[in-house]
Amino acid sequence: MNTRAKIFVVDNFIWFINVGLYLLFIILVPTGFLTLHNVEFILYVSSMIGFLVLGEALALITGGMDLSLAENAGLSAVVGGFIIGVMASGLPGWVGVIIVLATGTALGAVNGILVGKLRYNPFLATLGTFLVFDWGTFWIRRGAIVRLPASFLAPGSATVGGVHIAIFIFLAMAILLHFILRYTRFGVRTYASGDNPRAATMMGINVGNTLFWIYTLCGLLAGFSGLMYVGYIGVVTSLIAQNQVFNAMAGAVLGGISLRGGRGSIMGALGGVVLLGILDAGLTMLNVSPEIRGVLTGLVLLVAVMINMVTARLRDRILMPSSGQD
Amino acid sequence: MVNTLENGIPLLAAERIEKWYGKIHALRGIDVVIHPGEALALIGDNGAGKSTFAKIVAGVEQKTSGRLLWKGKEVDISSIKQARNLGIETVYQEQALAPQLTVMQNIFLGRTETKFGILGILDNKKMAEAARRVLDELGLAVGVNQEVRFCSGGEQQGVAVARAILFKANLVILDEPTRALSTRGVERILQFIRSMKNEGIAVILISHVFPQIFPITDRFMFMSRGQVIAEKRREETSPEDLSRMIIQKTA
Repeated sequence: MNTRAKIFVVDNFIWFINVGLYLLFIILVPTGFLTLHNVEFILYVSSMIGFLVLGEALALITGGMDLSLAENAGLSAVVGGFIIGVMASGLPGWVGVIIVLATGTALGAVNGILVGKLRYNPFLATLGTFLVFDWGTFWIRRGAIVRLPASFLAPGSATVGGVHIAIFIFLAMAILLHFILRYTRFGVRTYASGDNPRAATMMGINVGNTLFWIYTLCGLLAGFSGLMYVGYIGVVTSLIAQNQVFNAMAGAVLGGISLRGGRGSIMGALGGVVLLGILDAGLTMLNVSPEIRGVLTGLVLLVAVMINMVTARLRDRILMPSSGQD
Repeated sequence: MVNTLENGIPLLAAERIEKWYGKIHALRGIDVVIHPGEALALIGDNGAGKSTFAKIVAGVEQKTSGRLLWKGKEVDISSIKQARNLGIETVYQEQALAPQLTVMQNIFLGRTETKFGILGILDNKKMAEAARRVLDELGLAVGVNQEVRFCSGGEQQGVAVARAILFKANLVILDEPTRALSTRGVERILQFIRSMKNEGIAVILISHVFPQIFPITDRFMFMSRGQVIAEKRREETSPEDLSRMIIQKTA
C-alpha cells in the first residue's frame, strides 16, 4: 500500500469503525437495522447533535472549547419560540427561524468577544456563558411553548421524498465547513491559531479575530441545532439540548479532533456524529436501558481515544521521513 | 556582497535608539547602520540589548526615543506588518512555525495566495510551485506538503529563511540562527545566509556563538548593557580576538 493510501485509511479510520459497528448491529438486531428507513432515522436524529459536534470541532481545532454550545441551542430555541409563539404570535414561522439563528449567532459572538478579543480562557469563558445561557432559558420560560407555526418547525421536521430536510441541511453545513477549513485562507488561519498561536501572530495573523469568528460560527451552529431539536420534539421546552455538550465533545473526539488544537477535520467529526447515532440507535433497538447506554457511550469514547492515539502514532510513523535529519 | 544605495545611503540607519522597560534602561542611545547585502552580527552577553534592538527593527517592540531611517527616510515601525511591508523579515529563535501545518502553509503563513477575491480560496498550485522553487534554490530536499514537525532543526530554519527570500525581503534578522543545530545544520544555515547576501539581502545576526557565524559576517558590533562598546570589520579581527574582547569588557 502506498503512503497516500495508508494515510487515507488512518485519517478515515472512524468510518471503518462505523461500518464495523453497523454490521455488528445488523447481526445483533436482525430485523430492522438493515433498512433504509433506519439509516434515514439515524442520520435525522444525528443531525440535531451533529451541529453541536461540528461547532465543538471548530472550537477544539483552535485549541479552545465551547462548553456553552448546547445551552446556546436551548436558549436560542426558547427566544425564537417565545417571540413567535407568545409575544408576537401573528408573525410568520420563518421569522422565528431567523430569530433562532440570529440569537445563536449573537450568543456565539459573546463567546467570541470573551475568548478572541478579551483573551479569556475558553474553558472559563464558556463555562460562564454556559451558566448564563442555561439559567437564562429558565428565566425566559419555564415549561413548554406548544402553539408554534408549522413553518417554524419545518427545518427540523419537514420531509422531501420521505427524507427529513434536516439531514440535507446538516450535510450541506458539514460540506461547507469542510470546504472552508480545507480550501480557504480562513481555514489556514484557524488551524494555525490552534497549532501555534504565537507563531501565527508573529506571521501577521490576527488570532483574536479568527477566534472571534470561530466562536460566532459555533453560535450559528448551535442555533441550527436548536431549530432541529424544536422540529423533532414539535414544541419548545426549556430543556432543549440540555447537557448535550459532553456528547458533542465526545463526538468531536471520536472523530479524531485533537484537544491540543491545530488538528482534526470536519469529515472526521462527521464520522463521530454518525458513530454516536449508530450506537444510540443500535442500543435503543436492543432495548438497552438509558443508564447502560450512557455507560456504554462513555466506554466507547475511552476506546476511541485509545484508537485515536494509536492512529496518530501510525500516521506519524508513515509520514516521518527516513532521512534528512540534521 | 555589500552594496550601497544611491549616494551611499544605508538600507537602515538607527540613530540614538533608546528603550526603557519601566525602570530598566535596555538600550542607551545606540547607532546602527546596515547596507544591502551586508551581514552584521550583534554579539554580547544576555541582557546586552541585542534582541531588544532586533525586536524594535522587526516591529515587535516600540523604541522609547531615537530615529529609524529606511533608505534614508524616517519611518515608524509600529507593527510586524509594517516591518514586513518595508521588507524586514525576522527568523526567530523558535522560528515562528506552526508544526502541524505543511512546509508550504508555513512559508505562506499570514500571506496565503488566494483566488476568487473576497472568498479567499487558497491557490495551492501557485503556492506549491513558488515554495518548491525557493526550497530548491536553498538546496532543501523537503516536500512542500510535509508537515513541519517532521523537518529537522536545520530544515525548519530553512523554511523560515525561504519566507524571507520568497517575499523579497531587503533585511532579514536572524535571532540565534545556529542555536541547537548540529554541525550539518550550522553549515546549512551559513549557506542560507550566503544565498541571502548574494541576493543583496542585508542580514542582522544575533548570536552568542559568534565563532560559528564568523566566516559569513562582514561586521561585528559588540553590545553590553544597552550600548555598542566596540565595532570591528571581519578583516580587522578574529574569533579569538572577539572572545578576548568579550571577556575583558564583561569582566
